[in-house]
Amino acid sequence: MDMFLEQLPQQLVNGITLGGVYALIAIGYSMVYGILSMLNFAHGEVYMIGGFTGWWVLHLLYRENALAMNAVAVIALMVVFAMAVSGILGVLIERVAYRPLRHAPRINLLLSALGVSIFLQNFVLTFQGAKVRSFPVAALVPESLRVIQLGPVVFSFMRVLVIVVCFCLMAGLSIMIKSTKLGKAMRATAQDVETAAFMGVDVDRIIMVVFFIGSALGGAASVLVGLLFTQVDYYAGFAAGLKGFTAAVLGGIGNLYGAMLGGFVLGLSEALAVTFFPAAYKDVVAFVILIAVLILRPWGLMGEKSPEKV
Amino acid sequence: MNTTALSRDSVRHRNLMWLIAGCVVLAAAPHVMPNAYWMRIFCISGVYVMLALGLNVVAGFAGLLDLAYVAFFGVGGYTFALLSSEQFGIHLPFLLVLPAAALVSMVCGFALGATSVRLKGDYLAIVTLAFAQIFKLLLLNLDRPVNITGGVNGIYNFDMIRIFGLKIFTPAAYAYLIWGAALLAIVGSVRIKSSRYGRGWQAIREDELAAAATGVNTAWMKLTAFAGGAMVAGAAGAIFASFQDSVFPNNFDFQQLVMVYCMVILGGMGNVPGVVAGAVLLTILPEFLREYGAYRMMSYGVILVMLMVLRPKGLLSSIPFLQKSRTRPDKETTGRLQASTDLYYRKQRREKSTSTYQKGDKPLLVLEGVSRRFGGITAISGLDLTLFEREILSVIGPNGAGKTTLFNLISGIIPPSQGRILLNGADITGHRPDQVVRAGVARTFQNLRLFNGMSVRDNTRVGRFCRTRSGPLSILFNLPRHRKEERETMERTREILHLFGARLTGYRFDQDAGSLSYANRRRVEIARAMATGAKILLLDEPAAGMNPQETDEITEFILTLRDRYGYTILLIEHKLGLVRTISDRVVVLDSGGKITEGHYRDVAKNPQVIEAYLGTRHQ
Repeated sequence: MDMFLEQLPQQLVNGITLGGVYALIAIGYSMVYGILSMLNFAHGEVYMIGGFTGWWVLHLLYRENALAMNAVAVIALMVVFAMAVSGILGVLIERVAYRPLRHAPRINLLLSALGVSIFLQNFVLTFQGAKVRSFPVAALVPESLRVIQLGPVVFSFMRVLVIVVCFCLMAGLSIMIKSTKLGKAMRATAQDVETAAFMGVDVDRIIMVVFFIGSALGGAASVLVGLLFTQVDYYAGFAAGLKGFTAAVLGGIGNLYGAMLGGFVLGLSEALAVTFFPAAYKDVVAFVILIAVLILRPWGLMGEKSPEKV
Repeated sequence: MNTTALSRDSVRHRNLMWLIAGCVVLAAAPHVMPNAYWMRIFCISGVYVMLALGLNVVAGFAGLLDLAYVAFFGVGGYTFALLSSEQFGIHLPFLLVLPAAALVSMVCGFALGATSVRLKGDYLAIVTLAFAQIFKLLLLNLDRPVNITGGVNGIYNFDMIRIFGLKIFTPAAYAYLIWGAALLAIVGSVRIKSSRYGRGWQAIREDELAAAATGVNTAWMKLTAFAGGAMVAGAAGAIFASFQDSVFPNNFDFQQLVMVYCMVILGGMGNVPGVVAGAVLLTILPEFLREYGAYRMMSYGVILVMLMVLRPKGLLSSIPFLQKSRTRPDKETTGRLQASTDLYYRKQRREKSTSTYQKGDKPLLVLEGVSRRFGGITAISGLDLTLFEREILSVIGPNGAGKTTLFNLISGIIPPSQGRILLNGADITGHRPDQVVRAGVARTFQNLRLFNGMSVRDNTRVGRFCRTRSGPLSILFNLPRHRKEERETMERTREILHLFGARLTGYRFDQDAGSLSYANRRRVEIARAMATGAKILLLDEPAAGMNPQETDEITEFILTLRDRYGYTILLIEHKLGLVRTISDRVVVLDSGGKITEGHYRDVAKNPQVIEAYLGTRHQ
């Protein structure tokens, strides 16, 4: 117990960082689900490719000895590139694999998404290999800044940065959805695709935007995870995807703020669970939460219960 | 009648011919394989045929996206490994281990189904995916503290299997064993597909709610689909383990699952010969692409997307002999085509008869103070309603009056918040939809919920589900009881469809319900409700979307249902002409409460009713 209390502040910090990242991934699932009510199986892979993009940017700069640049600028560059690539990939996937199936039976859409996910994963495996790519983070952050001691808690510079970036992205998205015309159109489309179309909303465009934003946030999350844990491989999307989905379901899928809340709850639970269970079973925590929520409260923490129309 | 009996015989003949031809080819194949390499592929393709057929039960027939399927394959494999190796020093005979593996898998399938049976589509997929991940984690990590699964290294060196003293160790012997099992799986699949179980599963796949309202116990049927698929996978796993003489966690990972899904989809989900062909094709084809091994999984992804976008019914389903044979209109036995309307009226004139039944005085269905609230809204409040024996009672009222909610309450789709519902004096409050149907109340839906991908005949046959009892065993072994029930189901279906004349008979038997005209779909819904054997029918706007002539026809028909066949009918209808013609009594609902009830004449003059429909006049 003593050891638990001793570790508690540290684990809370870890949990919040992890939670922010999960929240970013979960937003992608939730936004797509809100409009198309489909589970975007390929989201995890989009996330993984975002991570690789970030690694690639960092790697290039490292090779060119350009890391003397301001660390924040480098990280900003990585995040922006990753977001762009992931976002465009998300839009492409929607266009090729989902749009033709918008009126098809649900199982077909899901299988198509599964196909995209398998393709992307093995595409990276083929051209990139099964090697784990590591981020030369050490060269990025000056040693004096690497840790910040605050009482018993040790903040790493990266953790602080990750939390800040997560909050900025989430705040930006909230503002956009609340108070821009595009955001209004997105909310309308999420309520009712057909009615939105009748009111003059270009639904196809809105869906594209949603895929772009959701995927871009996934890409950003991936870079942040890369900076935290310093590595990415072709299989990274699988676990991250499942966790993001768990967070989205936990918060109430389709609900943006629910996804954020779910992310933090999941991150904290995982961080705390590590103190009780062997690390090999760490992922099981997320799965158990997922299964329990789906069976006991499938509409999540903040979602609404919607009975089937008869 | 004769022609169909004949065609049924010819179908059986054709199936038998296929079976014999298949056996001959399979028996000869091991002796003509050019080398050990191809022999191995031949054996593996048999394992995949079994696997694909098992998945076809869950995903193809029942439409459940089960991503934990490959775990059952693993459970079977590891069960075999633990029960006939040095791992624990247990050496049981194969004839005991094989059923044990299948059984353990089946129990796991049941357990998985039980936790996730309430989940739909995407949710089910993700939960089963999580279960599959947990399974793999367990396989990888259960070598400590006690070595059970052998971790990454797996388990190897199994006992040689003996079947009745026959040692199985040559590749040819394995080929016979594997393909023998695969053949059993094929025959079993064909049989179960055309049984009450197969139709029940398909109905759930097409429309779960409608399936429940037609008397299919959906929760149980989903469980049996999970368990059935798992059982086949478990048996395949045991045979595979023995054939490979080792099991590793990697044998049962996500990639395997994707491959098996590709096989099922390529063949067309639910299409048994197609799935077999898909399995064989996708086992052999990659061998030719061996040099491009790295691209293999990538191409599976592309195949999945392309099939879903371009050919969602599977590539192989477009090959004619893999399709269901259908009666085509131009092949009618009469030799000429007639407008269905003419046939209908000619038949009606001939069969015009006096009524045998009239309204009785015995209360059949009684609602006592039934209320239903949705959050803050009260859709039905304190409603009392009595439906007498062989009565035609119409429920009318403006939109939002609670008419459809009333039907949903009676048919068990939503439970009442308060009050009791009695059928023949027995309390049926809170019963599941399928229990209500079995108790004798069937319904139709306002916005049409047919099983669109199934034929008119099969739609109606689903109605018989709750009146037949043969279980999986009597279906798989084609026992007399199952054959008798199938015969009766067919006869009853035919009788009911013939009541609708040429509208639903002849070539229409085999047409997909989704391809029918709107009015005909309404008729199929009524036929389906009648097939359940229920004597009380709840008809939700039976004449909606029908033209005046068709409305007259359906009015006449509903009257016939009571007068000649003794049905009791509760109906919702907006066409007051129909209501006036056939109702014994009329109940008027508004805002969830009953305004008045009585004969149409009196109800129509009631000032409150006029107000509810037309509003009040400004003075």
